[in-house]
Amino acid sequence: MTRRRVAVTGVGVVAPGGIGARAFWDLLSNGRTATRGITLFDPAGFRSRIAAEVDFDPAAHGFDEDGAARADRYIQFALVAAREAVADAGLELGGDDAWRTGVSLGTAVGGTTRLEHDYTAVSQEGSWWDVDHRLASPYLHRAFTPATLASAVAEQTGARGPVQTVSTGCTSGLDAIGYAVHSIQEGRMDVCIAGASDSPVSPITVACFDAIKATSANNDDPAHASRPFDANRDGFVLGEGGAVLVLEELEHARARGATVYCEIGGYATFGNAHHMTGLTAEGLEMARAIETALGQAQVNAGDIDYVNAHGSGTKQNDRHETAAVKRVLRDHAYKTPMTSIKSMVGHSLGAIGAIELAACVLAMTHHVVPPTANYETPDPECDLDYVPRTAREHTLRSVLSVGSGFGGFQSAVVMTRPKEVRA
Amino acid sequence: MSERLTMEELAALMKTAGITVDPTELASRPDSQFDDYGLDSLGLLGIVGELENRRGRALPSNADRCKSPGEFLDLVNSSLMTGA
Amino acid sequence: MNSRSGRTRGAGTPGRTVVTGMGIVAPNGIGAEAFWKATESGDSVLARVTRQGCEHLPLRVAGEVRDFDPGTLVEERFLVQTDRFSHYALAAADMALEDARLGRADYEDDPYSVGVVTAAGSGGGEFGQRELQRLWGQGPRYVGPYQSIAWFYAASTGQVSIRRGFKGPCGVVCGDEAGGLDAFAHAARAIRQGSRAMLAGATEAPLAPYSVVCQLGYEGLSTAEDPERAYRPFTDKACGFVPAEGGAMFVVEDEAAAGRRGATVRAVLAGHAATFTGPGRWEESAEGLAHAIRGALREADCAPEEIDVVFADAFGSPEADAAEARAISEALGSHGSKVPVTAPKTGTGRAYCAAATLDVAAAVLALEHGVVPPTPNVFEVCHDLDVVTGDARACGPRTALVLSRGQMGSNSALVIRKGSDSPA
Repeated sequence: MTRRRVAVTGVGVVAPGGIGARAFWDLLSNGRTATRGITLFDPAGFRSRIAAEVDFDPAAHGFDEDGAARADRYIQFALVAAREAVADAGLELGGDDAWRTGVSLGTAVGGTTRLEHDYTAVSQEGSWWDVDHRLASPYLHRAFTPATLASAVAEQTGARGPVQTVSTGCTSGLDAIGYAVHSIQEGRMDVCIAGASDSPVSPITVACFDAIKATSANNDDPAHASRPFDANRDGFVLGEGGAVLVLEELEHARARGATVYCEIGGYATFGNAHHMTGLTAEGLEMARAIETALGQAQVNAGDIDYVNAHGSGTKQNDRHETAAVKRVLRDHAYKTPMTSIKSMVGHSLGAIGAIELAACVLAMTHHVVPPTANYETPDPECDLDYVPRTAREHTLRSVLSVGSGFGGFQSAVVMTRPKEVRA
Repeated sequence: MSERLTMEELAALMKTAGITVDPTELASRPDSQFDDYGLDSLGLLGIVGELENRRGRALPSNADRCKSPGEFLDLVNSSLMTGA
Repeated sequence: MNSRSGRTRGAGTPGRTVVTGMGIVAPNGIGAEAFWKATESGDSVLARVTRQGCEHLPLRVAGEVRDFDPGTLVEERFLVQTDRFSHYALAAADMALEDARLGRADYEDDPYSVGVVTAAGSGGGEFGQRELQRLWGQGPRYVGPYQSIAWFYAASTGQVSIRRGFKGPCGVVCGDEAGGLDAFAHAARAIRQGSRAMLAGATEAPLAPYSVVCQLGYEGLSTAEDPERAYRPFTDKACGFVPAEGGAMFVVEDEAAAGRRGATVRAVLAGHAATFTGPGRWEESAEGLAHAIRGALREADCAPEEIDVVFADAFGSPEADAAEARAISEALGSHGSKVPVTAPKTGTGRAYCAAATLDVAAAVLALEHGVVPPTPNVFEVCHDLDVVTGDARACGPRTALVLSRGQMGSNSALVIRKGSDSPA
């Protein structure tokens, strides 16, 4: 029996600088950056005071006051992205199809923004350990439970199959989509609404990255602060957003005449068993994930046309993944464009993996590699082709996307666009 | 002028990172590595942050990259004494 | 879960997932022995909440883990950088590995062959509250370096993997209660894909002041004062569920790999399925849970009559209990009203994702001992179910069905078979 194949038939994105796949692609393909001084709260007194924020008006997306109260910002992002993806796929669920449709969504920090907001109320801004429950908002429990994310999207789409929220730090998006791919391959579902969302731009999250100097303190030049692979990079720029893909068993998609963007044939994740935040210089575990994902997709390392990097812009990350990619792609690595869209949309923690896969789908559709914005000064330890500042036309048949997360997670996804597939 | 950092205080700070070490041992082997005591990069970042809060001033940006107690004490104390 | 292909005689079935070790940190006992003793005798440990800062809140009764001294079990440098929920996970993982006799020597040739998957529904709330208080009470510079790795849901998986050197697939299911069973499904898939063993399970620590405040909006949270009356599912006195902390970690292993190293198979994870019917819509959840049960039975190649005991979700509200009774009846047919049903969690509370993992632990022990443990504090059942009340029942169960449903609308079912019923 041949393994079931998994097609991408719908894309939805809520990203800084662009809501909707079209606006998102416009930002990426023009190399614009959406990083700026934080406006979502007053960042005075913080080390890093910059972020890539989404200009998001809940009312414009159909959330009335109660709807906005029930769904945290990160869930609103997911609902909007899912609506776009499902419409894009032309998917209509009903009858037995609903039992065969799942939801798999990732988030790294879930409802922490709402949790922090309500915390300040019940604790009188940090005055009491013995918090006063009478000051909490009515839907606080929905923020406390990350399962609300997948549940809300399943409610919106009518999915009744396996519904899960995945939280593996900054690889959550890749892993949520990867689990969906494996579930469809195994026949546990035919369709999956898969992606990720996070809205971490709040004081506690900014402070926790301040404490470990993981974020850029280039507060004077926010538009150029996210500098993956550049010798002068000084950390990542926090972002927010969400992206959702409709994944579908290939024959199921063909039977209903759906447009197939591409296939996802391989996914793997491994732990580095090294350190919660530290990465090795060698990148062995990420290399293993890449090799495994390539093997599943039956793609040779030498056939990879584009590497969508994690490229967070921390010193250690960019060196780590450059080493990992070179370990697997060998000489071919030097001929393969490898870019980080975090240079433009920041690092939205659990969401970014899904946003990056959405970018890969769009890149394959347009045969254009989005650039690494802000890249100017080469770093001897990062010596690959990072496509500085300007997008590049390039035929894309096989694409690799990788990610690393706190906790040691190392994940890789391989997408392919076989010749017979027409968008 | 701020109070100098001593091996006693450093040992107490290392305890907050879950590392129990005798200050006399720290003093007798100032060049042994933080790594060998089990203190990782996050632990040292926490120690630097706590010291900055206690002394009410910033320490040099490379303080969290020191490899040994001796190197750390020298750097912190020269910074505290010069008021840099 | 139950792969029928590639059977190797005498060495177990490759791709079939078996339980070879368990580690338990439960309100009614630390370690499998203490847990089973209390579970079999039907002791209830539900009591007034005593956790500092929680005493004045409207939640009166909970299942707290007592007598747990993390300092004797886990190195201090791991403890300072983790929340209580990870302390439980680290300790439970150690116990499970010891029980399975799975040591570094077994995987150092291939550290990628062992992974970790946990379910987490509440995260490191106590740690997070402490750091929030520092941030808001003192300022951003008072937030410590471990906030970035202690509060988030992935903390336990990451720390277990690092501490024991597991480089295999590492995952975190952030489910509602049903996520506890979904973690086993993830582990089973990793094994089908070639991992030799997975540390799988869930631990929760939701009994911190702010975390409790966050739970007050949960449908069905019992705020009753009397520990003996606060959590009585399947009775006409049902008034919701009592939350709890703790959980269990398991070594689940490819049966062939377990056979090669001479490990004892404690149970077989035979089949799993999950569905979604939306939060609070119990009418629909009956259909959804029945659907999940049928899926799990199908995967396990198990007839309804083979189920010897059901570990119920036992949500504890009249509508939810009625829906569960109907799901059992729909999926198991006439056998549904005859099969013994139990919910030991009425004696320990419902530890969110971890509740189902404690049920799996109880199920494995029940199959080993041939005894169905009772449902503490429950008498006079008002549904057409044979709920085991009062004393344990020595009926020699060989196959168990574990059910779980979540606040956010998930329904999950897992079929477990007795170890010795599974010829290698």
